[in-house]
Amino acid sequence: MSTARQYELVYIVTPEATEQEIADLHTQIEQIVERFGGVFDKTENWGRKRFAYDIGKHREGTYVVETITGSGELMKEIDRRLRVLDQVIRHLVVRVDAELRVAQRTTDARKAFVGRRRVARGLPAERQPGEGKGDGDNDGLDDMDGVGGQR
Amino acid sequence: MREERGGGGRGGGRGGDKKEGKGGDAPRRGFFRRRRVCKFCAEKIDYVNYKDVRLLAPFLPERGKIQPRRISGTCALHQRKLQVAIKRARQLALIPYVTD
Repeated sequence: MSTARQYELVYIVTPEATEQEIADLHTQIEQIVERFGGVFDKTENWGRKRFAYDIGKHREGTYVVETITGSGELMKEIDRRLRVLDQVIRHLVVRVDAELRVAQRTTDARKAFVGRRRVARGLPAERQPGEGKGDGDNDGLDDMDGVGGQR
Repeated sequence: MREERGGGGRGGGRGGDKKEGKGGDAPRRGFFRRRRVCKFCAEKIDYVNYKDVRLLAPFLPERGKIQPRRISGTCALHQRKLQVAIKRARQLALIPYVTD
């Protein structure tokens, strides 16, 4: 089926959980993904982080980010499962493929546009190293929040 | 509020150069304010990542509210994306809903 979509799953495990428990949780999710015929793209453990606000009685937790390609039913099952588990304080499922595709298209379009303009000016389409001022990036645009008013 | 904004934009477009010119002069009266550029357009960021706290932090003043477009200078497209990213980050306790 062509319903394969890419999702990002972020979940927060209690700080009391041991490494083993976190690994177990990961295998559990992996099994669900397998059962539904999804593909596990990558997993990332951010380690223990302090929360910006207290969740229940917790002040910190272990963040785990997983990227999964699969169907909506698969994510529904994972969502349901994580909701039940006590060690998981909070979780978030986000569908990312559409957003990333849009972002990629914008990047490509800009590249093509710049390339066309450069060719029209008789330059090679790609920016050469050491060409022009700066790197095409902006210096001094980072201090946008109100500092400029002092000039 | 959003409607008001849209109406204003349209009005400005219809008014043509005259009106825009006036708007350009206005800030000079008080104190000089630099023309603000959308950070995401300037740095060519197409995808606003909700996991990147350092990217979102400049758009959250002390109270933790989302900074309005008129202050930050973010373009409408990116403000919309930023808004979603901030709300996701809030759910994950990466950034606060409110700070007192």
